[in-house]
Amino acid sequence: MGDDNLRFFLDSLNEITHFRNSAAEVSIEANPESFTDAFATAAIESGCNRLSLGVQSFQPNILQAYDRVHSADEAKRAFYSARKAGFSRINLDFIYAFPGQDPKQWEADLQEAARLDPEHLSCYELAYEPGTALTKLKQAGRWEPEDEDVCQALFESTENWLSGLGYTRYEISNYAKPREECLHNLASWRSLDYIGLGTGAASWRNGIRSKNILDPRVYQKRPFEQSESEARLPEEALFDLMLMGLRLPQQGVSRKRALRQTGLDPAEYWCELFNQFKSNGWLEIKADCIRTTPRGLLLLDTILGQMLPEV
Amino acid sequence: MPKNYPTERIRNFSIIAHIDHGKSTLADRFLDIATPGDGRKKQEQRLDSMDLERERGITIKAAAVSLELKIKGQDYLLNLIDTPGHVDFAYEVEKSLQACEGALLLIDAAQGIQAQTVANAMLALEQDMEVMPVFNKIDLPHARPDEIAQELEHVLLLESEGVLHCSAKTGKGVPAIIDEIVERIPAPKGDPKAPLRALIFDAAYDEYRGVIVYLRIVDGIIRKRDLVHMIGADANYEVLELGRYTPEPKPCDELHPGEVGYLISNIKELGDIRVGDTITVNKGERAEVLAGYREPQPMVWCGIYPVQSKDFEDLRTALDTLKLNDSSIIFEPETSEALGFGFRCGFLGLLHMEIAQERLERESGIDIVQTAPTVPYQILLTDGTTRDIHRPGDLPDPTQYNEVREPIVTSHILVPTDCIGPIMSLCSERRGVFLKQEHLSANRVMLTWDLPLAEVIYDFYDKLKSGTKGYGTMNFDEPRFFAANLVKMRILVNEVEADALSVICHADDAQRRGRAVLQVLRKEIPRHQFKVPLQAAVGGKILARETISALSKNVTAKCYGGDITRKRKLLEKQKEGKKRMKSIGSVEVPQKAFLAVLRTD
Repeated sequence: MGDDNLRFFLDSLNEITHFRNSAAEVSIEANPESFTDAFATAAIESGCNRLSLGVQSFQPNILQAYDRVHSADEAKRAFYSARKAGFSRINLDFIYAFPGQDPKQWEADLQEAARLDPEHLSCYELAYEPGTALTKLKQAGRWEPEDEDVCQALFESTENWLSGLGYTRYEISNYAKPREECLHNLASWRSLDYIGLGTGAASWRNGIRSKNILDPRVYQKRPFEQSESEARLPEEALFDLMLMGLRLPQQGVSRKRALRQTGLDPAEYWCELFNQFKSNGWLEIKADCIRTTPRGLLLLDTILGQMLPEV
Repeated sequence: MPKNYPTERIRNFSIIAHIDHGKSTLADRFLDIATPGDGRKKQEQRLDSMDLERERGITIKAAAVSLELKIKGQDYLLNLIDTPGHVDFAYEVEKSLQACEGALLLIDAAQGIQAQTVANAMLALEQDMEVMPVFNKIDLPHARPDEIAQELEHVLLLESEGVLHCSAKTGKGVPAIIDEIVERIPAPKGDPKAPLRALIFDAAYDEYRGVIVYLRIVDGIIRKRDLVHMIGADANYEVLELGRYTPEPKPCDELHPGEVGYLISNIKELGDIRVGDTITVNKGERAEVLAGYREPQPMVWCGIYPVQSKDFEDLRTALDTLKLNDSSIIFEPETSEALGFGFRCGFLGLLHMEIAQERLERESGIDIVQTAPTVPYQILLTDGTTRDIHRPGDLPDPTQYNEVREPIVTSHILVPTDCIGPIMSLCSERRGVFLKQEHLSANRVMLTWDLPLAEVIYDFYDKLKSGTKGYGTMNFDEPRFFAANLVKMRILVNEVEADALSVICHADDAQRRGRAVLQVLRKEIPRHQFKVPLQAAVGGKILARETISALSKNVTAKCYGGDITRKRKLLEKQKEGKKRMKSIGSVEVPQKAFLAVLRTD
């Protein structure tokens, strides 16, 4: 998207929503190579106040291996362009646990990132999502993922290194300086309502989960139609709420809010299971908060798997 | 309505060949000539009716097709009985041959005579039938018909003068083969006035119509609405439908001597139909039983278990259905501590076992777990008696027997001369005893070895193929039993013995096998919340160990608003997958692990 298009789009959006007067956070995502000075200025002038930049890595060999068209220098240049244009809240996206990656290299990436002093860092372990090229290579036996124990060590040292640099892990892969958490994402992890606009965007409103039509041509004709829409029963909504809320190791899930939203208290609903999780040292259950311990956070998918209703 | 033919206008024949020598393609050309433009099915290999056959490029199930042709102004009925080409299926080849008077011995003109060419030709010659050699793929640039003619005389002692040449792919030379079939293959004999005698040479099961019996009329006439009697099974049925496959089924009112076709009688009792049985009339003068088939000797056994115990009865029905279609399969119920209720099944060979297992899953939809295959053993007990066993668990305590005898097969291995070295070492690594070496031609040689069958059923074929760039072939004779230093190797998962994983193996080989099995298990068993030790033991002695470390990280890195539904479905799928695992003690073992252990050698 060019800067003219961005201005036109956000001006039009503002005419409908008046977001410039009311929105607490207006984030924009960009890749370093396309984030020019002119684009940065256009974004700020159109009302954006937070930037998320897809850096992925500062290591040239890794950027090349993953077909990233930008270089480390380009990423830094994009960061400075953003600051110069007036972005006071910036996130940098990183990926780690590439097979054979030296942990020292990853630590160096984080040190270098911290020198830029961004407000927020997202650090994702390399994932093998169904259908991606990497997953296919892995299935064909032509790609050996990094050893599980190494991944765990990296998961833990990432937090150690970043907390030493002043960033708190507030979600599994997200780190922020105090009061710099991404409000929008935090809202979805806390199962607050949100509306998605545009093709394929997801919404969660009044107990209904829906997705817009993915094909842009069809979407243009029928923007208010959903490709999928699912009303969640209270038990299901409660499970979703835990699925998202337990990703937050600090905040966890508020029992009161869960009760308000679904009519169910998770600590009662999963009473027996949670006692087991507690004795495993996986969960902390307080008067108004349920959250994972560091060990429980590492095993969150195991925990959720056991919480799934029997079918 | 199709007409009936006098015996002198009928020819019944098979095509026998090594795998991939073009049998199904030639059959397709025959069909093209018999039914030109007849609603042409464009699919290649029209005779193979099962998906699996087409996938693997091999024919498992014999099928019969009737071709109506005008030859030299006369109408003829040619019945082509299809035969399987793989070494495991000698029994089915034999069944098919018994319904014929002649066979085309199809040989790839580039590859020449292969081990199964020899084995199948021998079967045909033993039955005293007319064997007509045909060289296929004659227009390939590397075809070498002269050399192969020499092999034909040398190995099979068949006259190479006047051997027919064809290209089944293009159809070149195929009409001449048909003329020659009529010329050389004898017409069937049979008396239409004698009491009915028909041979069941195959059967299939149709969900709606019941058992479909493939039969060859020997004497007499079978008519629609006749009451018939299956002599061996002692069962009576009314003939509801008779017909021929062309290859589409075409009903008719009668089948006469020499004719081949199908019979439908709404037979739901699968045990009433035995391949090799004789059909005769229910009332009046009953005929003599036709020479039955040789009982097949299962040489590979394994346990087959339903993943979900509620499927046990369905699995029994599925095995019954499979047995009807493939009478060489033998099964009996058994129980395993790890796997619950299942069946011990005997097969003719390893490929036969794999295909049967795939067919079971595909045709019945039941998820099954299969244990490591084993050969049969003879145990000489201390009281002087012998006992046959076909599961490792049945090997008694060492104090109760004097010796264990294992099956040894004399194997004929055909390889290019420059591959002799690696194949000789392979055979000697597999505890083989060298017997002889014969040169078939300048660059091909036949090696004869005595090999323990247990060594052959693992990946011997794969090793033979890779050691000869794909050119090596082999077949083996009936096994004989000899004493050997054999032990039962047990596998312990988290201190619990997994009976389904134990194997009988040679004492010298136990440690290597044990290590290999544990390495596979370590990869295939997912991590648990606790450490899982794996051990391989003979008697009380631990030969190998591995440990699966405890699961300590299982968390999704990325999950935002739009990912919730997908994430939840993924968790549900994983939970479902866990249900399909088998527990050994407190350890969940996926099916894959049992199967992967089979592949270790």
